Amino acid sequence: MSSIMNAPENTAVWVDTVRCKACDICVDACPAGVLSMQQEPASTLGAMISVIAPEACIGCNECELTCPDFAIFVASKKEFKFAKLTDSAKERQEAIVNNQYRLPVDYKESN
Amino acid sequence: MAFNYDSYLRLEKMPTLWCWGCGDGVILKAFIRAVDKMGISKDDMCVVSGIGCSGRFSSYVDFNTIHTTHGRTVAYATGVKLANPTKHVVCVAGDGDALAIGGNHTIHGCRRNIDITMIVIQNFIYGLTNSQTSPTTPKGMWTVTQKAGNIDPTFDGCELAIASGASFVGRENVTQPRKLEKLFIQALEHRGFAYVEALSNCHINLGRKNKMASAMQNLDWIDDITVTKKKYDAMTPEEQLNLLPTGILKQDKEADEYCDMYAEIIKVHQGDRKKITQDDFEKKI
Repeated sequence: MSSIMNAPENTAVWVDTVRCKACDICVDACPAGVLSMQQEPASTLGAMISVIAPEACIGCNECELTCPDFAIFVASKKEFKFAKLTDSAKERQEAIVNNQYRLPVDYKESN
Repeated sequence: MAFNYDSYLRLEKMPTLWCWGCGDGVILKAFIRAVDKMGISKDDMCVVSGIGCSGRFSSYVDFNTIHTTHGRTVAYATGVKLANPTKHVVCVAGDGDALAIGGNHTIHGCRRNIDITMIVIQNFIYGLTNSQTSPTTPKGMWTVTQKAGNIDPTFDGCELAIASGASFVGRENVTQPRKLEKLFIQALEHRGFAYVEALSNCHINLGRKNKMASAMQNLDWIDDITVTKKKYDAMTPEEQLNLLPTGILKQDKEADEYCDMYAEIIKVHQGDRKKITQDDFEKKI
């Protein structure tokens, strides 16, 4: 087996939900509000990671580096054209972090 | 394209048994990336771990591994290294494993300066057995064995390793995975005893009664108590109080390595040279 994993086509960031333990670390680490926890009754902590805004991913790799459970992966910058960090992405990130790492139900983008 | 950790893992053991948010997983990932970057073959690497949450480290990696008795990682690793001097031998121990029950082995591993990389996962508590005071628990913290607050003075493992004669001593914070990876590479490249302390979080057993019950709160606390070596050196002793320096704290490339010296003993017994005398050493006492 090689140490390079092929990415799913046109995907910036993808998760392995079998391994995720819903620790919130990746959601906290993401600067662009790409990730959020979502309710999942079958999970031990009642939550599961979800990629809510893949188009906002800037490819900084922070979520992959800080994930303790080998559960999240980010495409290579050579293969995928990532977005730039925008103010609305930052606002969404703040809203998610302030709402216990879950996207507020009534959240609306400011622009 | 992404880094494929699976090629270095025993997939039948996944997912890991560690709690959600445990820093051990981040350290394991940084270690795997370091091994991959150095291009070390899986057959040329031996990981020896002791007892504790850190003991699971050897179960998950697909190298040659030994899960040994409590605190005896360095003793086993010394044997492995002397029998296979060309291979990389890595010890993984927790703070209780390396500094409490195995403190004696750690000291003498450092003193011999044998070419072993020792990774000490320091989470300030006995995590696996539910929050007993460890030698590194900060004063005043709640533990199961000191419910009124810990009064035991705190042990600095890096200072111990420096004083015992380890030729490479480093410390890094688990919130800096890239720096951790770099430190592992430097430690693995170093010939001699490399003591690397990785500060990790245990929000479950340290944090739950010490006002940092989530991984993020515990990691923020670790961030607050660490500074880089460069900044630490520029501080006054009053400012240095309650802070831990990170980075390479000591590196001595000239120190005699134990396997090299042992090769000379082998030569004596094979009749290739005379016995070793005091004249063979520059520093005699």
